[in-house]
Amino acid sequence: MNRLALLSALTLGLLSFNPVNAAVIYAGKEKAIAVCSHCHGMIKPSVDAPFPSLAGRDLTYLKSALAQYRDKTRKNDLMNALAGSLTDNDISNIAAYYAGLKIK
Amino acid sequence: MKTIKRNLSPATLTRLAAALLLPFSAFAAPTDGSKIPALYQENCASCHGADLGGFIAPALNADTLKGRSLTSLRTLTMAGSFDTLMPPFYGRLADDDIRGLVSYLKATPKQANPAWTLEDIKASVKVYVKDESTLPAKPTYQIDDINNIIGVAARGKYGRGEGSKAVFINSVTHQVIGEIPTGTAAHIIDYDPANPRWAYVKNDSAELFKIDLYSMQIVRSVKTGFNGPSLGVSRDGKYIMAGSYVPHNAVILDANTLEPLKTFELEGIDPDGKQVSSDSGMIIGTPFADIFAIALENAGQVWVVDLKEGFPVTRIENVGRHLHDAFLSHGGSKLMVASYDDSIVTAIDLKDRKIIKKLEAGCVPHVGGGSVVEVDGRTLGFGTNFGDCDKMVVSVWDLDKMEVVKQVPVSGGTESPAAHANAPYVAVDIISKDRRARTVQLIDKKSLEVVKTLDVGGHAYFPEYSADGKFLYISAGYNGDEVVVYDSNSLEKIASIAMESPAGIFSHGRVRYMTRGLSPDELTKRDGDKGAK
Repeated sequence: MNRLALLSALTLGLLSFNPVNAAVIYAGKEKAIAVCSHCHGMIKPSVDAPFPSLAGRDLTYLKSALAQYRDKTRKNDLMNALAGSLTDNDISNIAAYYAGLKIK
Repeated sequence: MKTIKRNLSPATLTRLAAALLLPFSAFAAPTDGSKIPALYQENCASCHGADLGGFIAPALNADTLKGRSLTSLRTLTMAGSFDTLMPPFYGRLADDDIRGLVSYLKATPKQANPAWTLEDIKASVKVYVKDESTLPAKPTYQIDDINNIIGVAARGKYGRGEGSKAVFINSVTHQVIGEIPTGTAAHIIDYDPANPRWAYVKNDSAELFKIDLYSMQIVRSVKTGFNGPSLGVSRDGKYIMAGSYVPHNAVILDANTLEPLKTFELEGIDPDGKQVSSDSGMIIGTPFADIFAIALENAGQVWVVDLKEGFPVTRIENVGRHLHDAFLSHGGSKLMVASYDDSIVTAIDLKDRKIIKKLEAGCVPHVGGGSVVEVDGRTLGFGTNFGDCDKMVVSVWDLDKMEVVKQVPVSGGTESPAAHANAPYVAVDIISKDRRARTVQLIDKKSLEVVKTLDVGGHAYFPEYSADGKFLYISAGYNGDEVVVYDSNSLEKIASIAMESPAGIFSHGRVRYMTRGLSPDELTKRDGDKGAK
């Protein structure tokens, strides 16, 4: 591929690509690995675990629940502690990651 | 699995600790103190040791927990430890029980090695299928070649429970064909080299299951000890040998009935001249002869057991300090044994039953199943090293000349190499405890350089090629909860198979090529050379 073709391909790629969504899910996955997956799993929680599955849950619900845990308007020692340090962006990203998962 | 006894490293859970620091007026002894040891055995022992002495997880006793606060231990137990297999027990154990457990562990010394005798083993045999002639004559599912089966040891999040199972996959279609519940975490899977229908699975509480792969069910089981990962099957498929950390013994079983035939107390004089009682390291059967080889971890000896009347033992002493695992080459006549504390791999000739040479490795060599590849007329052995140190390498040796060819720089500690005669790369799992743990690096067989790094996710480990060499399977373990399949050449992600905390991956193809990377034809040729026995 010559330079010009490469450049136009790149430009086209940039134009047709929605950077916001992709970045959100990727960043959400990173946060989920670090903060949520230990209990809720990356895909689903352990069959032996008392923790709810998050995959495929409603995006708005996930966001509001996380925000409530962070703001301690919903009480749970463990969740208040874990969500306490999340930013609004983190919450949107994590919610986008889990809401977008499809369980087979 | 990295089975090493180490001390508990302080977890970075300050944020949680602060939040969970509820009033801790008195860590009062639980009202019913007697149930705590049982709770430990039911929830903790399969990883931390029935004797509180550690197994795949740290020892938890008065000695190792000295100076640790009860609050931080309670927090760690509740929340689990990120980047390890320690799960959160929040919601699984009552807070009072967690308090009781940590108090008990802080106050209790490591227990004496409990006995588990031949009679105990015999009494533990369970028969699930009485009449094996009722089993189907061929697989009850579609599969072209039984060697296409790949078995995965799924640990389950809690190291026990419904998530703990051996999962069998058709490595052509990447579909699950069978799941065998194992109670506690499945650790090792071995296959009968003589009869394709049998597989043997050992779990983290040293229970051994005889599996009929045709009908995907347990036929028999036996408890060989309290824990210990080692397991070998003889070349004729008639005998099994299993070894334990607790207690310090190994047992030869009749593979057909799982009845114990002889136990071996593992003890001997270590390389520093001290008489020691020893954990059982790897046990291996070989296509070379009717023998088992067993590594005595602490005694630094390799014993060769002849599979004949009385099972006589030849002791090879002074092999190394803290032996662990090993792999075979040259038709199974040469055994390469990893020695943690000397940073060497010792080559042993199983014919003469003598040490050939001690070869330099990296820091803390852990060869996993090892890999041997034939490249440009040379037989190259690959050994991983799981220590974190300045010199992070994968060792490559010329196994004909028994010399070091290269120490290939990699990005971290490694636990297990995978190779296949038809695949261009030797895959090694980086296990260093940070983002690197998500990756697997690929070493080009010819150039002996790392040419690619795969970001697999989870704690990526135990790579394994399918029997045809077309696909590379990798466990995204710990919290990754999937096995990821790559095309061996393009390294594109082909499939994902969900399961809880997958660990070791074992291809049935191993019975054909003995050590991963060798061609099945090579083994046949060498078999021919020495003549059928």
